[in-house]
Amino acid sequence: MTSQTKRVRPSLVKELAKSKSALVGVAILLVLGGLTVYSVAALPSSFSQRWQNGDAWVLYPVDAPPQWVTAFGYPEAPTVNVSLSHWTEQTISVGTENLTEYYASVSFKWSSKVFPQNIAFVPVFQGSPSAITVTWTKPGGGSIDVSVSSPASGAAYEAQSPSLVSATTQYLLNQTGQYDTQPTGQQVVSAFFGQPGPNILSSSTLKGTYQASVQVLASSPVKMSKSLVVVIGTSYGLMGTDNLGRPIDLGLLAGLPNALEVGFLVAIISVIVGIVFGGLSGYFGAKKDEVMQWVALVILAMPALPFLVVISFTTRLNLWVEVLLISALSWPFYAIIARTVALSVKSQTFVEADKAMGVPSYRVFSSHFMPRLIPVTVAYTVLGIPGGILLAETLYFIGIGPANLVTWGGILDSAFASEAAVFGFWWWVIFPGLMIIISAIPFVLLGFALERIIAPRVSTK
Amino acid sequence: MGFGRFVVTKAVSYFLVLMATVSILYLATYSVIQKVITSSAEALAIEYRQNLLKSTHLSLTPAQIQTLTEDYQKSYLSQFAFNQPLPVKFAVQIYRLLTLHFGQSYVLKWNGSQNVNTIIAGYLPNTILLFTTATLILIALGTAIGLLAAKSAGSGWDRVVPIIAVIHSSLPAWWLGFLLIAGLGYDLKLFPTSGITAVPTPKGWLAIDLGVADHMVLPVLSILIVGLGGFAYIVRSLVISTMGEDFVLTARARGLSESRVLFRHVLRAASPAITTQAILAITGSFGGALVTEIVFNWPGIGLLTYMAIFDNDLPVIIGIVFVLTIILLVGLFIGELVYGLLDPRIRVSGD
Repeated sequence: MTSQTKRVRPSLVKELAKSKSALVGVAILLVLGGLTVYSVAALPSSFSQRWQNGDAWVLYPVDAPPQWVTAFGYPEAPTVNVSLSHWTEQTISVGTENLTEYYASVSFKWSSKVFPQNIAFVPVFQGSPSAITVTWTKPGGGSIDVSVSSPASGAAYEAQSPSLVSATTQYLLNQTGQYDTQPTGQQVVSAFFGQPGPNILSSSTLKGTYQASVQVLASSPVKMSKSLVVVIGTSYGLMGTDNLGRPIDLGLLAGLPNALEVGFLVAIISVIVGIVFGGLSGYFGAKKDEVMQWVALVILAMPALPFLVVISFTTRLNLWVEVLLISALSWPFYAIIARTVALSVKSQTFVEADKAMGVPSYRVFSSHFMPRLIPVTVAYTVLGIPGGILLAETLYFIGIGPANLVTWGGILDSAFASEAAVFGFWWWVIFPGLMIIISAIPFVLLGFALERIIAPRVSTK
Repeated sequence: MGFGRFVVTKAVSYFLVLMATVSILYLATYSVIQKVITSSAEALAIEYRQNLLKSTHLSLTPAQIQTLTEDYQKSYLSQFAFNQPLPVKFAVQIYRLLTLHFGQSYVLKWNGSQNVNTIIAGYLPNTILLFTTATLILIALGTAIGLLAAKSAGSGWDRVVPIIAVIHSSLPAWWLGFLLIAGLGYDLKLFPTSGITAVPTPKGWLAIDLGVADHMVLPVLSILIVGLGGFAYIVRSLVISTMGEDFVLTARARGLSESRVLFRHVLRAASPAITTQAILAITGSFGGALVTEIVFNWPGIGLLTYMAIFDNDLPVIIGIVFVLTIILLVGLFIGELVYGLLDPRIRVSGD
């Protein structure tokens, strides 16, 4: 056995390197591997909890297409995220009191005619400032003063916060003399980005440079940190957002390690079990083969999906339980393949010759069967990974899987529940599905290249 | 060995498979099944008690009603050998499951009935309709494409293979369903995207059947797109390998036309292997088809499973698992019989 496999291995790699599709496969695999490492390193372990928590995504637009659609002429407002990090400090006297004033200012250019979904100011500090005033200056020169008394660090002050609502009321009263009702969030955004007309709501934004100046007043020293001014547009990032504002690209990144892990483990376990089982079945032949084929049929007859659903009600699924269950139901497919290979080897004259010469059966198995089964194992493990990923994501899609896990299937499940296809939120549907396909491509390319190299050896002609 | 004996041997073998599979399923879901039995007993007892309360002509005292209800509940539990030793319980409950006694659902209903059998019987025909239609089209089209591809072997096909493989092994049929809904259903309004008939239901059987066929287009299409390429590829390789055999050469040497060789000789010889592959492909794609139903809101077993997960309706899920196992085995058994019909060698070397 050893002499055979030693001869096989180096040439296998060399032959693979000759195959163009295998190289493409390896390249995609490297990218996926890099993204996996990045995902594990960049996303904190608490990310899945954050993903489930709708409040964690208030600074993102909801149901927003990717930002790049604007390049194709779709009028969408971008999401602009500017930070205030350089704070100047000075002491001022108000009456008998000495107050410290912190000041920072940012500006950004706005060129979209579409109003953003929302606007938010997030102060971050240590200590307890008494008041924060944000002066919002529009391209035309008009400005709105927003005052927040006893602000909270890290809180998002957005269009429906009382401070912005009252600032807008005051501003509209000054500008138009009208004071009808409490302005809605949309009207607040409209006042911040447009020229208020007689109907309060203006029809298009003012293009140009906007400025936000922030003044913090405190009676005791305060340590100001990087604070944010966020214009929550109608488009976001590379892949848009879902109905809670969660960026799809972040979710796909978070789901990548799990998908690959499940795919790899399922493929390795089910292929090894299947090949050993099927190989032995074909090698033994006769009565033993019949019994083993019967056992494989018993497993094959189980309806995988509903069965896994019931099991999920009896046991708390974790990754390993899930992998073992999927593997337990998938190995018979590989057993059938391995049995065919073993049967074809068995019919060869040199096997019969060995047997006739009294070579012990374990040596016949290891010297003739193993060298042909091992390459098959490698090829089918690689080819089996996409199947594992697909089944796992299908389970996640119908809501079966370990709790607190961000998965592609889970993202598609929420897209389905929110009728994303009906509303035309294509980004929410297309990208997760594409990830399932893209993660399969390298394995299919590699597996096929391997199979093509191995096939002539297996057929032993 | 005659065909009759072949059928009997296979039937015995498949019955044993059924028993083994059901036993494994039973053991794996033992705790759920016990929970389902007790809850069904309670639900039926409540119903029974209310009937007693309603039938005033019996003039029962509350204590009598209480005893009767308890007796009723006990007798239901004893039907499932609930308090018997484990081996008896195992035998009795497996028998009850195989004779389709799944009790009452928690939430789900079909025409007002909460009997799990009635519910499954209501949804199952739609799954069978959808899946059989898709499978028949898949086998017919796949065989035709495979044959054509085999005729022109060595051409552009080899380059298409990786694409087919990616589609076959990684494209989720249910996701494709999403895309078809968004594209062909909502944007182009070519086909209905949800359910099985139009609302309100049209009059006349022809209109109803046409409506069902119309609703079936997109789900069938998504199952086809995923499965067709892979199946055609398998048929192609099987046919090509058969073409190399001596009897094909003989047939050609006899001057038979190429299409006659292909259909009467090659296809006939390759059909047992194609049948095996078809059976494997069908069992493999069944799960995906179930999930496809969910996306298209097709009222079949897949959608029922999804609703049952949502409602934690364990009796329905247990019922689905056992019914599907039985159906799958019956399907495989029929496949095996077809195999035996197509390939006389199987019958002879069956033992």
